[in-house]
Parts: sequence; structure tokens; C-alpha cells
Amino acid sequence: MVSDKEMTLVTKLAPRLFLAVFTLACLFLAGCGDDEPVKKVDLSKLEEITMIKPPAAVTYAYLPQYAHNVSYRRHHQLVKYLAKTTGLAIRQVFPDTFDEHMNMVGRGEIDISFSNPYVYVQIASRYGTRAFARIVEGQGEINFRGQVICRADNLQIKTPGDLKGKRLIAVDAYSAGGYLYPWAWLLEQGLRKKDFLEIVFAPGPGGKQEKVVMAVYSGKYDLGLIRERTLDILADKIDIKQIRVLAHSRWYPGWVYAARRGLPPDILAKIKEALLSLDPKNPDQREILEKARFTGLLPATDADYEAVRRLAEAVESRG
Amino acid sequence: MGTLGKLSFRSKINLGIVAVIMVFCILLALLVSRVAVKAMSGEIKKRGMSLAQNLASRATNSILALDFLRLKNMVDEVAGSSEDIVYAFIQDVRGQVLSHTFRSGFPSALRDANQISAAESFQIQLLGTEDELIYDFALPVKVGDNRLGTVRVGLSRAKAEAAVRRLLFTIFGVSAVIALAAVGMGSLFASTVTRRLNSLRRSAEEMIKGNLALHLGPPLERNCWEIKNCNQTGCPAYGDTRRRCWNIPGTLSPECRDVDYEDRLTCCKDCLVYQLNAGDEIQSLAESFDVMAMTLDAHIKGLEEAERNLTRQQQLLKTILDVNPDLVSLQDQNLVYQAVNPAFSKFCGLPAQEILGKTKIPLFPPEQAEEHQSESLEILQTGGHKSKEILVHKNGEKRWLHMVKVPVYDRDRITGILMAARDITEIKHYQEQLIQSLKMEQLGKLAGGVAHEINTPLCVILGYAQMLLEDMPQDTESHEFLKIIEKQAQICRRIVGDLLSFSRHIESRMEDMDLNRSLTEVLDLVRHSFKQNWIDIVPSLAPDLPTIIGDHEKLKQVWLNLLTNAVDSIGQNGAIRVSTGLDPQSGRVQVTVADNGPGIPPENLKKIFDPFFTTKAPGGGTGLGLSVSFGIIQDHQGAITVSSPAPPEFLPGSPNGKAPGPGCVFLVELPVSQDKVMVEDALPQLPPERVKIAGKSAG
Repeated sequence: MVSDKEMTLVTKLAPRLFLAVFTLACLFLAGCGDDEPVKKVDLSKLEEITMIKPPAAVTYAYLPQYAHNVSYRRHHQLVKYLAKTTGLAIRQVFPDTFDEHMNMVGRGEIDISFSNPYVYVQIASRYGTRAFARIVEGQGEINFRGQVICRADNLQIKTPGDLKGKRLIAVDAYSAGGYLYPWAWLLEQGLRKKDFLEIVFAPGPGGKQEKVVMAVYSGKYDLGLIRERTLDILADKIDIKQIRVLAHSRWYPGWVYAARRGLPPDILAKIKEALLSLDPKNPDQREILEKARFTGLLPATDADYEAVRRLAEAVESRG
Repeated sequence: MGTLGKLSFRSKINLGIVAVIMVFCILLALLVSRVAVKAMSGEIKKRGMSLAQNLASRATNSILALDFLRLKNMVDEVAGSSEDIVYAFIQDVRGQVLSHTFRSGFPSALRDANQISAAESFQIQLLGTEDELIYDFALPVKVGDNRLGTVRVGLSRAKAEAAVRRLLFTIFGVSAVIALAAVGMGSLFASTVTRRLNSLRRSAEEMIKGNLALHLGPPLERNCWEIKNCNQTGCPAYGDTRRRCWNIPGTLSPECRDVDYEDRLTCCKDCLVYQLNAGDEIQSLAESFDVMAMTLDAHIKGLEEAERNLTRQQQLLKTILDVNPDLVSLQDQNLVYQAVNPAFSKFCGLPAQEILGKTKIPLFPPEQAEEHQSESLEILQTGGHKSKEILVHKNGEKRWLHMVKVPVYDRDRITGILMAARDITEIKHYQEQLIQSLKMEQLGKLAGGVAHEINTPLCVILGYAQMLLEDMPQDTESHEFLKIIEKQAQICRRIVGDLLSFSRHIESRMEDMDLNRSLTEVLDLVRHSFKQNWIDIVPSLAPDLPTIIGDHEKLKQVWLNLLTNAVDSIGQNGAIRVSTGLDPQSGRVQVTVADNGPGIPPENLKKIFDPFFTTKAPGGGTGLGLSVSFGIIQDHQGAITVSSPAPPEFLPGSPNGKAPGPGCVFLVELPVSQDKVMVEDALPQLPPERVKIAGKSAG
């Protein structure tokens, strides 16, 4: 039971207590201010930004079958290795499309071209580019092949004849594994371009192999032409069990290093030597090779790609 | 009382509401502003990081390809996506700006304003320009572990601050609206409270003025008997619209019939009537006020009735005590007089105020006062009663009082003494008279017996004396002596005759007789002798009087006694008026004998019929004449009364010119024969106040 005296005391103290709490609350809240440090800058001093001219160097380009960052990630250390080994200034450049790659080779903007055999035979014939090394993949494989894929739940396709009237997507008109090799298989099956409802190429730049798989996976196209092992790259992004490999093409030569015409022979020799000297047993170099997704390099000549040249001619002639 | 205390209830409510809302508003604004600033800053940082990450992700390929056009498009696209993005630019790994969104030139100071080290994944720096604060986001463009460059995005904090300002404005605006609404609602609520409080105050003032016919509780839509649909007309709540049933004890509702009144409310809370009709605290107060007013009214009326009864009883008691001729007094346990009645104070000769508060009063003489006090103390100690007769003196007179003292009890304790005293002087006098009469009766019997015994020898003496007289010659000494003997013997015979008459030893011979004739015979006998003393007899006898039944000789003796008495009173020179008549009212014959002598003193009037009472000198009379006459008239079943002074109409005229005295008149009434009642004449009546002196009536 509260006595009258205590009640009077409470009545007298309550307003003062309330005022004190209110003031403390205000001070507390006001004190919790924005204490981020402010750095004063003067935006009035302006400068003109001029276009940067890259330093003179040997240019190295990887045919943009993947995105630039993938190309960079795969070949950046290799480029650094080459520069370090040869003592040359070597810079990786990134053409957006296969056509631009070829054009840059033609314009002399790419000194060392790492491309598929189909592009190689094109630039060799157009610009006199000459092969000097070829890669070895997997367990010493020097050839590779393409694949014809569809959705695993597409049960209509049982025989090659069932491919007629389908919508088809390929990597690029100058892709070897993603167009030329599997298209040769389709020709062998008696199929022609007119037998398909639609034939398109993956939009650029970069990442074109993946885009074909994604187009088939999404059901936008019935058939896809890709390089073998492309599905492995996408294994962590999609359920590749949803993709069925209808057929494999024949085996054809793998990717090739070529030098533009006019590249000084000493530079070419240094680079060729450095490339051929990459040893998978050397841990540092093995990492370089693993990043670049091949296991070694062998010397190559233009004659090694004669079969591809003929295949290209055959495809272009049969349409 | 402070200024706040003098404010009206409504002002206090409104002031309190506004104070609470303003405090709440200020605290909320401060809190919200801090939270909002932090939240907005956080959002800005998240958004800036998102934009920078997106730009860094998209710019990778373009940086690698040195596609400046695409880089320009990217930064412009980022900067144009929102107004608060001040700038966006991309630097290569050496810090060289590859592309930016500034139209008129790149600010040099911005290049190194927010540098990011190799170990950091991002860096946010708050930059202060002349106009505003800008969050600068720096994010490295990497491919794997290799850094290609840096993306920089600047987001203005002004928009966030403006949003906070808008939020604060909204808070204050909403608070103001709420405050206004709260004041309005507060005023509304306060007015409902103050209106009812004022009503209660006015009712309290009315109660102070004495008006208890209050009805503060609101009228009910449905009363309890309507809700319960009961016909309990005997229930105290039935028909009572002023009180709520839960405030009325003794209701007959089955739910609360057997519940004590103190526990009623607990029971009533579950009752539908209570749930429908119970209001808030103020309504409950008003209803309780009504009940209180009604109860108070009933109590006051009861008190007024009790007061009236008490006053009436006090008046009755006062009247009884005031009118009571007895002396009544009340003393407390210290014998201090607390109350006396007027008779007491009158008897004491003091006003009541001078008696009250005292222990001793001049009621008792000093020698009795001490005894009186001792008796009182004994009564206080023992609780006994006292009853006795005392003789006191008042104004020189002796007064007998019969006094009773009784103890007064308050529960088991004696708190005082009530004394009642009655003046019994008259009774005492009658007692003395009675004793005297008894004495006289015994004396008469004794005298009669003696006279009877003496009468015979006296007759012998008288007879022989007369015989000797006849034998003795006259003129001899012996004859002379015999004459003396005869004369004295005659005197003795007369005395003996009176004594015999007084003792009624002479039998009356009752017969029809003429009253006037007996009177005339006596008047004729005494007229001559009266004349010798110059006394006239004035007869005024009514003719045709009815006959009466009586002893002719004894009545003649009565008339003779009355006339002799009148002559003895007059002495000489006077007149005696003798009249007869019939009283038509009583039907009795009346005889008056009036004289104009000196009259009889009042103190003697009462004794005049007593035996042996005489004012004559010794030897002048025996004092038995009127007493004998009284006895004769009683034997005739009549009455004899005397009045003095005599009324003028009875007085006879004065024949010799002498002024008449006050005189006296004797009135004798005698019954007539039953078959001879005649109402022909009437005598003047004696005044009633004189008749009260009359003697004992017959029967």
C-alpha cells in the first residue's frame, strides 16, 4: 500500500524524471549521428582523358570461342610465360568474333593466332598465315571431334532421318568442332541445309559453345552442334543429363598455333621454342597448360591441316 | 496549488495529450531519422556495390578487348539508370581512366580519391564536394586473381537525405494531425467526463442545500424486471428506476438471493442485467450517488420523524410534569439537581434555573435537609426506595408532603434519584376530621348512654320537687328552694333531652305534614320574645307547598334551633327572613332562614355543624343545637347548608334603619311525598360556590 506521502513524492518527481529521461534520450539519439569520415574532393579541376595507345608488343589472340575473360583466364599465364621465356613484350588481344579474329590477323593486329583448324585454313588461305604448333589434349590426343545434341526428352529423334524439319543451332560458321565437323557428319547422313527448318549460329561475342548448349537445353532449338567436352564445362551450371548426344563426328586435327605472315622469324622461333618446351612434368608449366586446357604442344605444319581444308571445301560446295 | 493544478480538467487532458504526442514525435523523429539515415546509407551502399559489381563484371571483356566505346556505353548506362548516380568511371590496373561519364572533363582529384589495395575486395569512401556528399564505390575488375582495373561509381547522398527529410516531414505532419485529432478526441472525452463531473458537483451542492431528490444515473432502456421478464412485484428492485438492482439489498433474483450484500457485486458481474446496464466508473459513481442520496433522504426523514416523536414525547412529558401538581425532581449521582418541574420550583419559591446545578435547596428545613441527604446517599448505595410523609413549613403554613424517592438506573448503574412529593395537607385535614368525627360519635354514644341513665332519676327528682312545691306554702324559704331545684332540674332535663336527641335515642314519628304549618307554629311561639330584642321576623312562606314526610315535632325543633341561632347571631336590632318554596329542578322543598347579623367567619363555617362547637360564652349553650338539627335533617333524607355572608336576595330588610350586616343564611332541603310533587313555585338558588359548604348529604 502506497502512503499519501509516497504518492506526493512520486507526483512531484514524475515530471522531473520524465524530463530527464526525455533529455537523455534526445542526447543519445542525437549522439548516434553519422560518424563516417568525409574526404573532401575538389571536382573543379578537370582533365581530358586521351585514348590509350597500348605499348608495342607481339600480339597473341585466342579464337573467341569463349568469353574474353575465359580466354584471358586460360591464356593469361601462358602469355606471361611466353613473354618471360622469350624476353619479348607479348600482349593478349581479344577479338570479339571469329570474323574479327581473322580480320585482325589480316590487318596484322594478331601476330600469334591460336585458332581452330577451320579458321586456320581460312586465314592461311586468305592471309598466308602458317601453322607452327598444334596442341595435345587429354591423354595425348592431337585430334578432336564434334557432337550433335538434343534434349534427352526429345523422343521423336531416333534415326538420322528424324532430324529433318528440326531447328538447328551451331556455334559459328567458322567453328570446327561446333559446326564443320558435325555438319560433315550430317552430310554423310544425307542431310542438307534445306532439310532443316532453321539453321542459326550462336550470337557473339564469346561463349558461343555454351550458348548452343543453353539454346538446346531451353528447348528453343531441337538440335545443337558443339565441340566435344563442351558439356563438361557446363556440368556445374546445368543438369547435363537433360542433354542427349545424338552423334559424334569423325576425328579431325586439333587447335593450331599460327604466325602471321611477316612476323620476324627470330620472334617466331623464340615463341615456337618456348611453346614446344612446355613440359607437363614441370609443375609451373603444368599449371600453365592446365589453365590453357591442353597437355602439350607439338610442331606443326600447314600440311597437317590438309584434311580439314578439304573437308571445308566439301562442306562449302555441298551446302 | 500550482498553475497546472488550476487548469481545467479538459486543459490538463489536452496538455497531456499534446505533450505525450510531441515527445513521442520528437523521439520518433530522432530515432527514425537515425535509423532511416543508416538504412538509407546501407541501401545506398548496397545499391552502389551492386552497380559497381555489375559494372565490373560486364566491363571485364571490354577492358580486355580495350573496347572503349562499349566501356563508355556501360558507364553512361550505369550513370543514366538513376538520378542519384553522380558518376561512373573505369580505371585500368595502372589507374589510368579508361572511360567516364563526365561531359566536360574528368576531375583530377577523383582519380586517387578512393584507392583500393590488392587485399581489399571493395572500398567505400564518403566524399565531400562543395555541393553534396557522395558515396564513392571502388571495386576491382578481376579475372581470376589477376586484376584488370577498377570500377568507380559515385552515388549522391542528397537523395537519401531528401528521403529522410520527407520522412521527418511526414512524421511531424502525421504527428500534428494526430495531435489535433487527439486534442479533439481528448476534448470530446474530457467534456463527457467533465460534464458528468460537473453534474455530480452540482448534485453535491444541491445535497448541501438539502435537496436530496437527485437522479444522476442515466435512464435505462430496459430495467432489470424487463430484462429478466419477472413479475416479482415484492422485490425491492421492481419498479425502482432510480437505483440499480445490484445496489439494492434484499432483491429476489434467484442468482443473488442467497448472497450477502457485500459479495453481491462479484455475483452480479456474471448477470445479464449488470452486463447490459452497468456503465463506466463515473456512471457507477453517479448511481452510487443516487443510492446515497436516497438512503440519506430516508435516514433524514426517519431522523425527522424520530425527532418529531421525541419532541412530541418531550412536550407530553413536559406537559405531564408541568401540569402535575406533585413535586418532581431528578438528582444525579452527586445529588445535583438536574431537572425539576414547575410545581417543585413553585413550592420552593425559586425559579428552576436557580435550583438546577445545586445540591441544597430551601425545600427542607436545616434539620431535615441532612436527613434528606443521608437518605439519598443510602438510595444511591443500596438501590432501595424511600416513601414517607414529612411536614414542612411554607410561608408560615404547615404542609404535609408524601415523598417517594426511587433510584434511576442506566443499565445496571444507578445514575440518580427521582423524587416525587405530593401535598397531602388536605388529606391530612380530612383524616383529622374523620378522627374527630369518630371521636364525636363515640362521645355522642357515651353522652346518650349517660343521659339515658340520668334521665330517670332526674324525672324522679323533678317529680318529687314539684310534688313538694305543691305541698309547701309559697313565700317560704323551702318553697323558694324547691323552685330552684325544679328550675335546675328542668335545665338538666333539657340538657339530657339534647343529649338524647344527639345520640338519636328518640325515635322519629314520620308522617305526612304541612311544612308551612310547623314553621308558623314556631314563628308564633318566638315572635313575641324576639320582638323584645328588636328583631323582626319576615315570613315568606310559599302557599300550596306539597306535603312532606317528617316528624312534626323534630322539624319544629330544627326551625327553633335555626331561629335561636339567628337571634344569637344578631343580638339586637335585626331581622330574620324565613321563606319556603319548591325547587323545580330537584323537586325538593326548601326552607331558608336568613339573618342580617354579623355573619360567620370563614374558619368557623366548616365547624358550625360539629357537636359542642359554640361561639357562645360558657353556659350560654351546649353547642349541640345545630349538630342536632343536622342529624334530624339527615334522618329526613334532606340536607342543610350554610352560607355567609348571605346573598342579598336572601337578606331581610332592616326595619329600624340599621345597616344590615353580611348576615348568613341556612338552607334546608327536604324531600316531598312522592305522590304530591307539585312544581308551582321556586325559591331563589344559592350560588353554587356557597353551596359547597354544605354538610353531609344523606345516604
